Amino acid sequence: MNENNYELGFEELAAKYPDFPRLLIRKLDAELRGVTLTGRALERAKEEGSLYDASADLGQETPRPVLGGALFRDGSWVLGMEPMYLQFPQGYTRRGNSYSIDVVDGKLWLLDGDEPVEDIFFVPYPEYFGKKTSRGTPMVKVVSARLPGLLFIYLYNRCDFWMRKMPCKYCSFPTRVFRRKPGYTQEGLDDLYETMNEALKEDGKWINIVLLAGSDLSGDSPFDNEVGEYVKVLTTLRKSFGTEKIYAKMVASAFSREQMLRLRDAGATTYQPHIEVWDEKLFEWICPGKTKYFGRQYWIDSALSAVEIFGRGYVCTQFVGGVELMQPYGFKTIDEALESTLEGAEFFAKNGVGPIAIIHRLEKGTVFFSQNQKPAPLEYYVRLMKGISEIHRKYNLSVDFNNYRCHPTGDLDRLHTSKITNKPAGGEKS
Amino acid sequence: MNGDELSLEEVAKKYPDFPRIIIRKIDTALRGVTFTERALERAKEEDALYDASGDLGKKTSRPVLGGALFRDGTVVLGLEDLYLQFPEKFIRRGSPYTLDVVDGRVWLLDGDKPVEEVFFVPVPAYFGKKTRRGTPMLKMATPRFPCCLFIRIYNYCHFWEEKDPCRYCSFVKQDEGVYTPESLADLRETVDEALKEEGRWTVLFLSGGSDPRGNSAYENTANEYVKALKTLQKSFGTEKVYARIVANAFPRDQLLRLKEAGAVTYEPHIEVWDEKLFEWICPGKAKYFGRQYWIDSALSAVEIFGRGNVCTQFVGGVELAEPNGFKTMDEGLKSTLEGVEFFARHGVASSFFILWVVGGSIFYAQKQNPAPLEYHVRLAMGIRDIQRRYKLSMDFNNYRCSSGRPDVDLARLDFNKMW
Amino acid sequence: MSKLPKEVLDLISDSESIKVVSTADEDGNPHIAFKDSLTVLDDGNLAFGEEFEGSQTNVNLVRSIWFNKNVELTVRDKHGTTFRIIGKPYRYAHAGPLFKKFYLAEREKRGPDSELAGVWIITPEEVRNETYEIRKKEEDERHPFFRHFDRSSVRKIKR
Repeated sequence: MNENNYELGFEELAAKYPDFPRLLIRKLDAELRGVTLTGRALERAKEEGSLYDASADLGQETPRPVLGGALFRDGSWVLGMEPMYLQFPQGYTRRGNSYSIDVVDGKLWLLDGDEPVEDIFFVPYPEYFGKKTSRGTPMVKVVSARLPGLLFIYLYNRCDFWMRKMPCKYCSFPTRVFRRKPGYTQEGLDDLYETMNEALKEDGKWINIVLLAGSDLSGDSPFDNEVGEYVKVLTTLRKSFGTEKIYAKMVASAFSREQMLRLRDAGATTYQPHIEVWDEKLFEWICPGKTKYFGRQYWIDSALSAVEIFGRGYVCTQFVGGVELMQPYGFKTIDEALESTLEGAEFFAKNGVGPIAIIHRLEKGTVFFSQNQKPAPLEYYVRLMKGISEIHRKYNLSVDFNNYRCHPTGDLDRLHTSKITNKPAGGEKS
Repeated sequence: MNGDELSLEEVAKKYPDFPRIIIRKIDTALRGVTFTERALERAKEEDALYDASGDLGKKTSRPVLGGALFRDGTVVLGLEDLYLQFPEKFIRRGSPYTLDVVDGRVWLLDGDKPVEEVFFVPVPAYFGKKTRRGTPMLKMATPRFPCCLFIRIYNYCHFWEEKDPCRYCSFVKQDEGVYTPESLADLRETVDEALKEEGRWTVLFLSGGSDPRGNSAYENTANEYVKALKTLQKSFGTEKVYARIVANAFPRDQLLRLKEAGAVTYEPHIEVWDEKLFEWICPGKAKYFGRQYWIDSALSAVEIFGRGNVCTQFVGGVELAEPNGFKTMDEGLKSTLEGVEFFARHGVASSFFILWVVGGSIFYAQKQNPAPLEYHVRLAMGIRDIQRRYKLSMDFNNYRCSSGRPDVDLARLDFNKMW
Repeated sequence: MSKLPKEVLDLISDSESIKVVSTADEDGNPHIAFKDSLTVLDDGNLAFGEEFEGSQTNVNLVRSIWFNKNVELTVRDKHGTTFRIIGKPYRYAHAGPLFKKFYLAEREKRGPDSELAGVWIITPEEVRNETYEIRKKEEDERHPFFRHFDRSSVRKIKR
């Protein structure tokens, strides 16, 4: 960032953007600064059935606490508390002092220093936690969760971009827990089926599923084997649901039209190949793997052609908001960065692909972490979320399968959920 | 006046928080409203047209319209008072509007353009009836249409007699007759008959000329109000008579007499605030017994009738009359609103009536003009703001009571907050 | 004006239906009131009696008619069939035949000391079926990702 970029604090931003919900500014700030739990808060979580120890499942000797979820008053996520592997992070570059969650006067609060700033609500952990499949596999290793309501299926965690030493520079893929090698066996699928059936027993708990894997270039055509794994999982989920269609988020590599048709035939209803960063030069620098296999235009085309297959409102692409400000090649001001990213977002929306964005997490294990990069400032995220939501509205395009219970982009869209119809707005490609 | 006069559209654009329909209403007062034959035919079909020539002993027809309302229930100005519905002498500002039937509905037209829908109201059921003594009832009580029953206490004004009338006043027919037991019986019969009509009347309005004579100031006038009030007590069977009492400035002892006779409200009208203009425009009031006397009467009435039950009225626009009036709207408003605020501070609410420059008044003879549209909009807003600031209601003088007072229309937005 | 479907007309004429008017004040604060007298006029407009000049509903409606704001009417029968009608105040009648009709009906219903300040006439502009089953179908089609997985139509395996 340029030194001339004066950084605004929370209150200044709330005053500068009065139409942006204060609660959501807090949410973004908490994500940027991080959230820790006090002993009292953990005690409270335990009392409420919200704290699980996954050490036995993972074969660890030291406790591995998992929180069932933490929500703000408006029902949105306390970011960082939704994926279990980030709840108690060790290596992380933050912006500013972290917030804490503590018990004040009998209630849970998010504290900025000593000052309670927002109520927090814990959610009990899922009932399938602690159970095992008939083969003895801990179910939490088969299906994890974005807490509290999103089932998470990590198909495998190998990524050819990592293998070929050209990972995306913000990615910490190899460090993550619950690892699985590529190639579901019949046993693995049986475990998945059992786990899903067990998880789905819990009434009113689950509302979406994410399917995610690394990029696998192997197969007759590149990515064929990756598609094969998605098809296996989708086929299993069909049995679990007893339905043709599977309402799940499919985060995957950029597939060809034939490969996407395979997914659709297996029950997929959505698809999201992530572009990550819009600027051409930055894409090449930050995502060298994607650039090589098979270039920015290929990834764009894949998303665009998916709209014909899955329909408008069922295809997304994701930006890692903030990576375009990483140095030395990134933009020097947030104005430039936003101009570029929102240009990309608008391009996709115009073509029926819903743009979404996450907050760049500078985690240990990433190239950017080791480079001592600095996260983008809060104002950037306020403007990014605002800009993207405005684009959704302008193009009458929902990202429902990435709604606020599944993704940080969905928050502002809650204000126009009842109005967006996904019919093409004027002046846009139909 | 300084500056260019704004049109209705320009005024509406300049004051987007002021209801457009009320701007139109003010404009109908300033420009006047005439009827087409079709509109009169429609009024007849809807039982909204009455010929009062028989009652008034006239040979030519004397049409009376039962009332005309805008969509919001406010009155099309000029059509609430049967003496002003078909005026002959009037100084207007601009060409009159027309009431006509367009596509089967009654519309107010500005030139050829329908601008607001209008709704006629049937004439009261007591019209055409006579008392046992044979007096036409509408001579005893005449409505301010559609729902205000107006009782003129007597047709005598001493100020006129002494050639010192208020300069905007057209109250010229002098009749020194006072209420007799017979005429009070007529009044009683008329009110009883009128009240038989269900859902019609919400307001009683007592008014008369000024007679400062008597053992104490204005005692002669007070006597007549007391007679009428006692008759109304009998008609309602209640101690209190919920009526507007528009009257002279009474001293405390006369006010107490009124209260004993059932009055719950009181309004001595100051008409114009500026001291010099008061003397010029209201010489009778200035003589009997001066501006301070009229102010004191209103203030002391608050102790007797209570806050929210006393008001005064300004004739909006007279303060701009030539040659002695203010030269700019800003000055005119500043003075009048200073008066409004003074009264409000002392618990007396204010309202203003749009100046009608009517034949028979001195201002008519002098060819004075009514104030521009914008002036009335600003005055209404100014008065409303002050009433709101002082949390001063004036329910007894609400938008249905008589019209020509746009500030009273605006009060509708505060009915749930102020009482 | 939006023509009201027969189903809505029947619902309004059903004396057992619940009828609610929703208005907003100058700050957008919502206010609702029950309006048993809601009825459909021959010209397709809707009308209901307003008892009190000083009620929040009445003040809000005056603001609506002056500044062209919407008002909502909701009607629901005992089976749950619900319609929402969005419209604009067309007229406030406090004198004349229509007012008298409502006034006398109020008299009939509440006795000789009843009050009725006026009758509000609303021009409907949009009608929406808010019946649970209909809305569920619409929402399931529009937002399949807002459904809980344990619903019988989402997970069709018997448990």
